[in-house]
Amino acid sequence: MGRKILTVDDSKTIRMIVARAFKEYDIDMFEAQNGVEGLAVASREHPDLIILDYTMPIMDGYEMLTKLKSDPELKAIPVIMLTAEAGRENVLKIAKQGVRDYLIKPFKEDVIIERVSRIVDLKPKGESADKTKRYDDPLGILLVDDKPAIIEQIVAGLRDTPWKVDGVGSTGLAMDRCGRGIPDAVLISLSLPETGAFTLFQMLRAGAKTKSVPVFGLCVKTAAEDQARAQQVGFTGIITKPIDFEDVKIKITRALGLDTSYKYFTMKDGVLVLNLPPTFTPSVANDILLHLRNQVTSAVDSGLDKMVIDMSTVKTADITLIKLGLSSLQLCAELAIKSAMIGSDAVTNECKNYEETKDWRFVTSHAEALGVLGASAVAA
Amino acid sequence: MIDDLEDLLKAAVVEVFGTMIGLQVQPEAPNTPLVSEGSSIAGAVGFIGKMTGVVYIYAPVPFAVRLTEKILGVSASEIDSDEMVNDSMGELANMVVGHLKSRLSDRGHSCVMTIPSIVRGTNFQIEPVSTTIRRVFSFRSLEHQLVVEIMLRPETQA
Repeated sequence: MGRKILTVDDSKTIRMIVARAFKEYDIDMFEAQNGVEGLAVASREHPDLIILDYTMPIMDGYEMLTKLKSDPELKAIPVIMLTAEAGRENVLKIAKQGVRDYLIKPFKEDVIIERVSRIVDLKPKGESADKTKRYDDPLGILLVDDKPAIIEQIVAGLRDTPWKVDGVGSTGLAMDRCGRGIPDAVLISLSLPETGAFTLFQMLRAGAKTKSVPVFGLCVKTAAEDQARAQQVGFTGIITKPIDFEDVKIKITRALGLDTSYKYFTMKDGVLVLNLPPTFTPSVANDILLHLRNQVTSAVDSGLDKMVIDMSTVKTADITLIKLGLSSLQLCAELAIKSAMIGSDAVTNECKNYEETKDWRFVTSHAEALGVLGASAVAA
Repeated sequence: MIDDLEDLLKAAVVEVFGTMIGLQVQPEAPNTPLVSEGSSIAGAVGFIGKMTGVVYIYAPVPFAVRLTEKILGVSASEIDSDEMVNDSMGELANMVVGHLKSRLSDRGHSCVMTIPSIVRGTNFQIEPVSTTIRRVFSFRSLEHQLVVEIMLRPETQA
């Protein structure tokens, strides 16, 4: 459900301007023409914020604010005062009443958005309703580094993803790019001149549309001071050079909560298949474990009672593989579903050497696995 | 009396129209003849206190409609009533006077503002009492003339 903002202003023009400012955000707007109506709507809707005009007929903003602050049910609602009167005396009077902020007319839309975003978490419309983004979606990654060689290296390193990496050399260009479209993630070199990375980070966090974008700092492993400062100010993570691109992909995936389950889990011939990829690393195992319970539970919910764990492309049975295999088999037992395992020759042989896996029975193909499970292939 | 009242008022008009509408309004030379373009709308806001007066902002109806389109970000066909145009003109006057009042208050001339009101008509004239100080300035924008009139009661009578 969206956040609620109540605009109390006798001018329909101002109410329309405020409503227009937030039309791109997931906000439920409410309006009132004076303080009396404003208090009634506030009592009924309990908005997350009230934007309150000062000069109004029937009950002005000052009186409404006084009544609001004396009502135990309503006094916690933050108020931004909107006034055409910017004199020092007036500002002091408003401040004493406990308003969170005030805005002087005339005002620009982006100023009201920026002020409101300090109080209310503004989410672009549709974002909350969108389905979870997938790893194979064409994400936009903004890369800010004044060294063209690093930009080239990162563009090349992420070339096997569908992500579009947009490299720029300065904070000014980065903000310009953000003005044209909000990136899904930002990578910033912490060694930009004049602490540019930290200035850019603050600007991104101050922007209503960019404040939730994950921002990673790029630096050499030995730049401990920069890393500590970045973590202190709230960078989403640190990527150290030389860059491990698998690590970069995983960090971005986790920060954005990307769905990667489709890479490992499929439905085939009426059974759930867990496909372990040839590059089976601890990070991949962790990624699979993040989805394992949900995927298996959903399959059971939808009526499936069989699972195939396909390790046929895995080259060795190390502790990571064994732990994942044990977790998968334990979950199958817990949910009372049948399972079968397909193993490469190496995995099949190596598993005979471990106490935990010596009793695992492998087959060599999907068809054999179906046979073990008492299922049969569905004609394509 | 404020010596630079004219400058304060012109600055307020330029600031309000520039910020709220993104519209450049160009002050015309003193004594530029006021041109009648037929029916006009005037937004009026008063201020009462250590300084007392009223400011009128006049615009020919077609210009007022253009201003309403711009301030609300709507097309002419979406302006379904005179009320929308009235409200926009009233709000513009309110902001101009608010801007002026803030500057006056900071100089010790504190006052409170009235609720905006609207006058519509053709060839109407405001006839102030003889003791009232009256100033008229004009601006040009979008090929129309915008007229701003301020009437002040002398401070000794406030």
